Amino acid sequence: MKHLVNWSRIYSLWPVHLMTACCGAELGAMMSGRYDPERFGMQAAVGSMRQSDLLIIEGTVTKKMLKRVKVVWEQMPNPKYAIAMGDCACSGGLFHDSYSIVNELEKAIPIDVFVPGCPPRPEALLNAVIKLREKIRRGEVYPK
Amino acid sequence: MSTLDLNVGPQHPGSGHMRIIVRTDGDLIVEATPDVGYVHRGCEKIAESRNIIKNIPMLERPNIADSSHLNWSYIQPIEELQGVEVPERGRYIRTILCEINRIASHLYGMAIMAGIFSGHTTMYMYGFGDRELLLDLAEMLTGARMTFSFFVPGGVRRDLPKGFKEKLLETLDYLQRRLVAIDRIFVNNPVFVERGRGVGILRKEDAIKLGVVGPVLRASGVRCDVRKDAPYGAYDKVDFEIPTFKEGDSLSRWLVRFEEIKQSVSILRQAIRDIPKGPIARKSPIVIPRGEAISRIESSRGEINHYIVGNGSDKPYRVKMNTGSFKNLLALPFLLRGVRIGDLPIVYGGLDYWPVEADR
Amino acid sequence: MTATLSTQEQRIATAVKEQLGSAVEDVRVDRKGRMSLVARKETITEVAACLQRLGFDHSIAVSGVDYLTEKRIEVVYFLSSYSRDDLKHLVLSLKAQLDRENPSLPTLTPIWESANLFEREAHEMFGVNFEGHPNLQKLLLQDNWDGPPPMRKDLTFPELA
Repeated sequence: MKHLVNWSRIYSLWPVHLMTACCGAELGAMMSGRYDPERFGMQAAVGSMRQSDLLIIEGTVTKKMLKRVKVVWEQMPNPKYAIAMGDCACSGGLFHDSYSIVNELEKAIPIDVFVPGCPPRPEALLNAVIKLREKIRRGEVYPK
Repeated sequence: MSTLDLNVGPQHPGSGHMRIIVRTDGDLIVEATPDVGYVHRGCEKIAESRNIIKNIPMLERPNIADSSHLNWSYIQPIEELQGVEVPERGRYIRTILCEINRIASHLYGMAIMAGIFSGHTTMYMYGFGDRELLLDLAEMLTGARMTFSFFVPGGVRRDLPKGFKEKLLETLDYLQRRLVAIDRIFVNNPVFVERGRGVGILRKEDAIKLGVVGPVLRASGVRCDVRKDAPYGAYDKVDFEIPTFKEGDSLSRWLVRFEEIKQSVSILRQAIRDIPKGPIARKSPIVIPRGEAISRIESSRGEINHYIVGNGSDKPYRVKMNTGSFKNLLALPFLLRGVRIGDLPIVYGGLDYWPVEADR
Repeated sequence: MTATLSTQEQRIATAVKEQLGSAVEDVRVDRKGRMSLVARKETITEVAACLQRLGFDHSIAVSGVDYLTEKRIEVVYFLSSYSRDDLKHLVLSLKAQLDRENPSLPTLTPIWESANLFEREAHEMFGVNFEGHPNLQKLLLQDNWDGPPPMRKDLTFPELA
């Protein structure tokens, strides 16, 4: 039964578009026709975060924004997953020595998949979604 | 009159992080206060601790969809202080990459405004799909889809590869056919036109007083474009027009971008036909001499300026960036006054505001 | 650099010297399209009004520069024109030298409204007080920033990181 539930979760990942900085442009490109995430069940335009289960943190999270990212995360219902997209979300990236950014995001939000790259190509992001699906299938991300 | 304070953002689809605190009376906006800084990464401070070349990738990230203009604007004052003149072939290659970038950025802006803010998903798919062809061209030339880091003090990094000219002309032919389709589906379509016509009008006197730039300025009847007023690169060698509209509403701002794509196609055709042979770069020293200089480049969202103060070392003493989105930010509360809540996305989309570029 | 100077820049320089006299110092034409002049805190409003009459209708940027060793902060207004065809190519830098301990300058927003947000950013980043500015609150920094203005040179890496 658990396999059936996991299978249905895999095919309906609805992401919240937390388009922070530069990486958002590559996420926008991924949502378009050339890469077509809808064949994986990912809906491009989601109404609200209360009906989505995937948070893609694209780009740098500043200290001013961190509180709001946590609010978005808390509003999402369980089970929920998070992908850290881009070098800045993984470890600070190009701006690691800035006075206003958060370098260690995983201390605030539990991240399931890290996607390095500056910015990562849309194929890399799709690959991350596929890896996340395998994690869900194996049952490694639930319960949160 | 009892009013309600609403929060729009900072997390919202279709744009980076930016909050607008809107005070409404019914559904009429009485006052709007933008709250920015959610993507402020301190670029100017970081730039003082890295040398000239290491700053290039960092300083082109504020607007990744328009990165070649930011790159050029950072390099221009350094070349002026160093006294290095870029050879003619290098200037043509710079112009070609910048115009490819301008078309890609305008397609992005049009896709977001019509696609996400207006709800026409077709324009989103058209804009992003056609943009991929231009990113392929840029990748062929520079090796990267969006973060080119292609201009260095003295010239450009690489010459045009074999087959570039043919691929460019093929892409331009395809684009011209697509523009006809967009014209039929959107420009002559009352469903789209009525959404933006007469909404968020910015009169000419207010546009000048607020100091807005780019397509927002030209949609309000002010015929100013740095490529014509203070030409750089190869812009004085090609023929093009500056599309200007008188109405100053959100629809005009979308149409200015649409017309500018047509002009960019024409510039690209002339540039690739007339590009001379010769070197693509000159040697430049690794230090910035004492002095100060300011650049003026017309990016997709308006005029950008980099003010650089050098002190003889290889790191700049001060880098001040001012971008089109930051200059246009002042117009947002002005335009939103008296507009209905339902029209807020259209007015906001018409400005093509890029929060990362404004916050730096 | 007196070899080939454009007539527009010379015309503006002459008019400025005639109308403002000792209110301005160091009027320079660097090349075609670039000129600069220096005003004092007491005279800057008068200088700005004169420049507006001459045709400079908007500000394209405002920057602070922290000259730590010379113990001064310089504020530069970059001005240009949309309405005058003969001045569209020109950028005029209006500079004011301020004391580093307590930098303060009257706001120029009544003359150039476009400088509103630029002055606000310079206040936040350098600590310059623009007297009379309608809204000198934080713009870009986080809400609970308690440190000194970040663009000042006494804040260095790695202390910041």
